[in-house]
Amino acid sequence: MASHAHHVELDPARVARDGLAPTLAGGLRFFTAARILGGLFAVGIVGFVLRLSGGFEDRTAWGYYAALFSFLLTTAGSAPFVAIGLRLTRADWRRPIARAAELFGVVGLLLLLMFIPLLYLIPSAEGRRTIWFGLAGAPHLWDTLAVVLLVVCGLLMLYASAVPDLATARDASPPGPRRSVFAWLAGRWRGSARQWALQRGALTLLGAFYFTLLVLVQTLLSTDFAVSLVPGWKDPLFPTYQALTGFQAAVATVVLAMVVLRWVGYKDYLGVDPFWGLAKVLLALSLLWFYFWFSGLIVLWYGRQPVEENILKLFWFGPYLPLFLATFVLNFVGPLLVLMWNPLRRSMVGPAIASAMVIVGVFLDRVRFFVGAFSVEEAGHALEHVPPAHLPDGIDLMLLVGGVGGALFIYVMATRLVPVLSIWEIREGLLLRARSALVKLEVLVLGKPVRGG
Amino acid sequence: MEARERLTEAQINEDLLGPTLRTPRWFWPVAGFLASVVLAGAVSFGLMINRGLGLTGLNRPVMWGAFITTFVFWVGISHAGVMISSILRLAQAEWRRPVTRAAELLTVFALSTAALFPLIHVGRPWRLMYWFLPYDFPRMVWPNVRSPLIWDPAAIFTYLTGASLFVFIALLPDFALARDRTRGWRHKLYSVVSLGFRGSLRQWKLQAIAGILLSALILPVFVSVHSIVSWDFAVAMSVEGWHATIFAPYFVIGAVHSGVAAVVTIMALMLWLFGWKRYIRSEHFDSLGKLELAVGIGWFYFFFLEFVFGMVSLEGAELALKDMQMFQWPWSLLFGIFIVTAFFIPIPLWMFRRVRRSILAMFLISISVNIGMWFERFLIIVPGLARKQPFAFTWGSYAPQPVELIIVAASFALVLLGLLLFTRLFPPIPIYDMKEGQVLHKDIKVGRSTVPGIARE
Repeated sequence: MASHAHHVELDPARVARDGLAPTLAGGLRFFTAARILGGLFAVGIVGFVLRLSGGFEDRTAWGYYAALFSFLLTTAGSAPFVAIGLRLTRADWRRPIARAAELFGVVGLLLLLMFIPLLYLIPSAEGRRTIWFGLAGAPHLWDTLAVVLLVVCGLLMLYASAVPDLATARDASPPGPRRSVFAWLAGRWRGSARQWALQRGALTLLGAFYFTLLVLVQTLLSTDFAVSLVPGWKDPLFPTYQALTGFQAAVATVVLAMVVLRWVGYKDYLGVDPFWGLAKVLLALSLLWFYFWFSGLIVLWYGRQPVEENILKLFWFGPYLPLFLATFVLNFVGPLLVLMWNPLRRSMVGPAIASAMVIVGVFLDRVRFFVGAFSVEEAGHALEHVPPAHLPDGIDLMLLVGGVGGALFIYVMATRLVPVLSIWEIREGLLLRARSALVKLEVLVLGKPVRGG
Repeated sequence: MEARERLTEAQINEDLLGPTLRTPRWFWPVAGFLASVVLAGAVSFGLMINRGLGLTGLNRPVMWGAFITTFVFWVGISHAGVMISSILRLAQAEWRRPVTRAAELLTVFALSTAALFPLIHVGRPWRLMYWFLPYDFPRMVWPNVRSPLIWDPAAIFTYLTGASLFVFIALLPDFALARDRTRGWRHKLYSVVSLGFRGSLRQWKLQAIAGILLSALILPVFVSVHSIVSWDFAVAMSVEGWHATIFAPYFVIGAVHSGVAAVVTIMALMLWLFGWKRYIRSEHFDSLGKLELAVGIGWFYFFFLEFVFGMVSLEGAELALKDMQMFQWPWSLLFGIFIVTAFFIPIPLWMFRRVRRSILAMFLISISVNIGMWFERFLIIVPGLARKQPFAFTWGSYAPQPVELIIVAASFALVLLGLLLFTRLFPPIPIYDMKEGQVLHKDIKVGRSTVPGIARE
């Protein structure tokens, strides 16, 4: 499967064996990674307790925590979008990467926990200019509901996708507690035509819901936790910019996950094709990122209304100017310069470098907006005073390291329960491909089944 | 992907080149009718030049009305070509093949028609050169390059040039095909325009590379055109509701919404008029319907944000404008028509596969979308200007007058006439692309069933 250029003959039995190996056996790499990431997570928990001991009165102190939450939502929380999008467009090269993408849905559990303190940090919508216009329970109730629904939907989608593979794990594992767990999770899955049809329907429906909820959560968070905290900031493009950055970061996250998967032994599955495919998507999203970035800035800059002057200073040309410039370079210039070249785009190194840049850029962008917004202490009609840049302290660094480590820890632990390769999708791909003669060439033919056929 | 009929090259030539080389019976009556509507528009325009802009409903403060609305509308429609052709070509979507040329042609004719409207709108078209030509060197009078009125023509003519090249490159193999099957003046015409295309390996390679290159290069131009049109509004500080950061992507996605709907309209008309059932199938409408569903929901998201953020600051003038758009007669009626026809009718219907596969339903929905999208532009432009001034006694109103309505109607006839005349000279479905699709289409055996497949690399 892997890549068309990388002719490795795979058979269904080998796919099941390789796919289940880390789930059933773990291995030294798994335990080492789990220990390191678990340690980082513990550092984060200590940092959180220390930050909590300071209370919620000083919102500025929680700025980096909010930025971290948004960063994790934008990267890990958005990563399942890659599986959804590629399944909807029926891209054949998605098969070895779909599960790695949707497995990030488990990070939602961490996001859910991290969201609770944030609820204490945003003021009620009463007497403020928000998008809620006095709706009862806003913003706390509706924001919480959206986040909970997103996390539940992500987990359900992962489960719907993994059920056939859990059944394979059940059948392949020796008797014991693990087999019982797989048997319980796989339920009555036997792979009947009706079960397959139901599974596909569920995946489509949950995928559509997840995508919608992801955009909704990005919209609500960016308005309630950034825009409405800054008097005079009226930027309808900002929520869409946040959502779009999420899609860009989602692709970058999955590319980096693929690099790690190759390193742990899936080289025969992850050839150039999925890297090349995602590189094209990443290039398109980076161009689109620039378009949104420019569209938002040009209207504010050209208008320079009195009420917008300090907004421009705060987020663009004032204390956070270095982050603004770094974001521009890392989210647009860098990926463009790397991915515009065919040889680099059609490689593994090019997409990996571009993705690393995008992830760092997204983090800095989140710091710029969320730390900037959380450091504003005024209320009223317009921002009268631009607060200085808020630099991270030791606790912030502990939180940042621990947050990222915790997200990765949960992901790594989940691979012990759910195969990180989508075994059934790769096997399906093997069935739906054939070699055929075309004039004097031998070409690869990809089957596209007719619905109901 | 649908199981489809195997067609020979001769059959494809006969089916797709036939209507170009032989005039269908309905052709001249339809062309005559459209030409008479265009003539009525030209006469109205002449009258307007002779008698002045007083014949229109334009006034102070509503100095932009039906003409500018229609200008934005046609620029929007023109976005279909690149959306369909370029993106689907780069994404190697198989179902694009019969759709691309109609979409590209729509771009060219819609954009050319759009470019006429600023000329018509100024009432003294010859004065338009003051906007963008350096006309008075001795006194150092220069066009203002910071003005959107300079950006507009630059964007539109770049896009028109790119889109025309795009159509031309894709037409080369079909020109050569027509050249080899005609005599007389047609043969001479096709010989000239086919540029010596003989179908050598090198020529095919160059044609393919040019197509891919133009696809990629035209994408930023496509996005820039409607963004620049949106900045005509967004950089105008004095009009409530226009100064919004979201305007550029909101306009672009709205343009794609209406543009793809227009492609559906044209595809259905081509199918009915030329009887191309074997080429334009329900699976194509299904795919266009899915695309429209995604674009339509995306467009509504942008519309929603633009609308809600307009009211976030609770400024009196902005709230008064929204109140006027939504609740004051007759704007409330127009708003109702807009939101129902552009969103609440199409989106729920497109969710059903049966609707997406019904050509009549898709045709009617596509018209509904474009009715709504015309009113959307009207509601952005006119109420904002009517409430532009701070004092109630300086507020205005606007109702389009007969000359404006005739000219707007003539623009629709002009686009359709352009497309119709094109089909008399050139095939509106890319013949070479259809043949390539046939060659690449291969069935594969999976167990006991046969699955349609496509050859790659």
